[in-house]
Amino acid sequence: MVSSRPRLFTTEAVVLRHSDLGEADRLLWLLTPQRGVIRATARGARKPGSKLGGHIDLLCHVKLSMREGRELHGVSQADTVDAFRAMRTDIGRLSRGLYMAELAQRVSVEDAPAPAVFRLLVNSLGWLATTENADTLVRWFALRLLTITGFKPEFGACAECGDELEPADHVFSAERGGLVCPRCRSQGSDVLQPASLGTIKVLRHLARSDFPAVSSLNIGSEERRQIERILRSHTNSVIDRGVRSSAFLDEVRDWPEVGPVPGGMRAD
Amino acid sequence: MNSNSTPSAAPPVARLIEAFNRLPGVGPKSAQRLTYYMIRMPREEAEALAEAVISVKDRIVLCSKCLNITEEPVCPVCTNERRDRTRICVVEEPLDVLAIERTRAYDGLYHVLHGSISPVNGIGAEQLKIRELLDRLRDETVTELILATNPNLEGEATSMYLQRLISPLGIKVTRLARGLSSGADLEYADEMTLANALEGRSEIARNDEPAAG
Repeated sequence: MVSSRPRLFTTEAVVLRHSDLGEADRLLWLLTPQRGVIRATARGARKPGSKLGGHIDLLCHVKLSMREGRELHGVSQADTVDAFRAMRTDIGRLSRGLYMAELAQRVSVEDAPAPAVFRLLVNSLGWLATTENADTLVRWFALRLLTITGFKPEFGACAECGDELEPADHVFSAERGGLVCPRCRSQGSDVLQPASLGTIKVLRHLARSDFPAVSSLNIGSEERRQIERILRSHTNSVIDRGVRSSAFLDEVRDWPEVGPVPGGMRAD
Repeated sequence: MNSNSTPSAAPPVARLIEAFNRLPGVGPKSAQRLTYYMIRMPREEAEALAEAVISVKDRIVLCSKCLNITEEPVCPVCTNERRDRTRICVVEEPLDVLAIERTRAYDGLYHVLHGSISPVNGIGAEQLKIRELLDRLRDETVTELILATNPNLEGEATSMYLQRLISPLGIKVTRLARGLSSGADLEYADEMTLANALEGRSEIARNDEPAAG
C-alpha cells in the first residue's frame, strides 16, 4: 500500500531568491548540493513571530527539513548555518553577494545535483564577508562557476582553430568562447574584446588557482577593465538576457563603507 | 488561469474565475469558490462590491507629499497640523503606514517608497520613490529620518542605500530596532535576530535607590 504521508528530507541550502506568496508565506529558490536549484514554500515566514522567517533570508546558508512536493517543496524547519553578517552591513559586499547568487542560479539546472556549485557559493560568500579584494573574488567566482558548469572560456589556445597562442596581446570572442589568434580574428562578425598579454596572464592565473592564492593579487587598472569586459561578455553569452543584479553592483561598487544605521527609536 | 479547471463553466463565470485568479495569493480553487459565492450574492451586494472596485481606481491617488494612497491630493497625515514635521518615517509599502499608525506610538510624517531594492528581480533605486524623498528633505525642516524598511536583506540594502544618499545632508538617520518579537521563543531565534537583539540591548529601568536594609 502506498503511504499518503509526504516524504521528508533534510538538506543544506543557500537562499538565492524569494518572493511573497499568499497572505504571509514566502516562495524560495534554493541552491542545494544534492538537488541543485529547487523551489519551496515557507508558510507564515513573513509574520514577525515566524520560526522560519529569520533563517531563510536571501543569501543565508541554512539547514532545512522539507516536505517533498511535486513542484514545490515545503519548509518545515530551518536552522542557520551562516548568515554572513559582515557582508550584510556593507552595501558593496552585499551587491557582490547578490550578483554571485544570481549567477549561480542562472547557470544551475532545477533538480540536478550541484555539489560543486553549492560549495563554491558557500565558500565565496564566506570569503566575501572578510576579503579586502571583493572584485577579484567576483571575477574568480565567475570563472570557477563557468568552469564547473561546462562553460569555461578558452585562454590557452585559439577558440577558433585550436592552435596554441603566442605570448602576445590577443582578442576575446564571447561568441566563440575564448581568445582568438590573429589569423582567425577577422573571421566572423562577432564583437571582440581586447586582451593584453598582462590580462591573459591574470585570467589564466585566476582560472587555475584557488581564491586564497589570488586574494591578494594586485591587478592593474587597464587589466581590470579588460577582465571585467571579457568576463561580462562571456557570462552574458551563457546566460539569456544578462545578469539582472549587475546594474546594482555597478552602481554601488565604489561606494565607501558607511557602516550600519544606528538602531532603535530611542528618545533623545 | 488554466481553462481545463473549469471546462463546463458558462463564459461569464469563467471570466470572473479568471479575473480572481489574477489576484495575488488567489489560486484556481479559491477563484472558483469566490466566483460561486458571488453568483449567490444579492444583486445590491454585488453592485456595491463592483462600485467599490471602480471607485478605488477612479478616486484613489498618491499623496503629492508622502506618496501614500489617498483620496485627496494631499493625505490626512500630511495635512494634519498636529503631526511632528521634523521626522519622516520611510516605509516600503502603504500597508506599512497602517501598521505603524496602529501602534499610536509615532506622530511624525511618512514617505512611501513603493517597494525595496531587489537587484535579483531587476528592481533598482530608480524604480522607487527616492528622488521624491530627497526633494522633500531639501524643502522641509526635517531633522530625523526613520528607516522602517523590512528587516530582510532587500530592506537592509534599501536602508543602506538611503543612508548613503542622505548622510551628506546632515539629517539624523535612524532605523527601527531589530530584535526578538514579543511572544517568541529564544531557542527558535535565528543568529541574526539574536545578534541584533544583543547589540540593541537596553538597560532595564530601575528604582533610583535599592530598598534600605
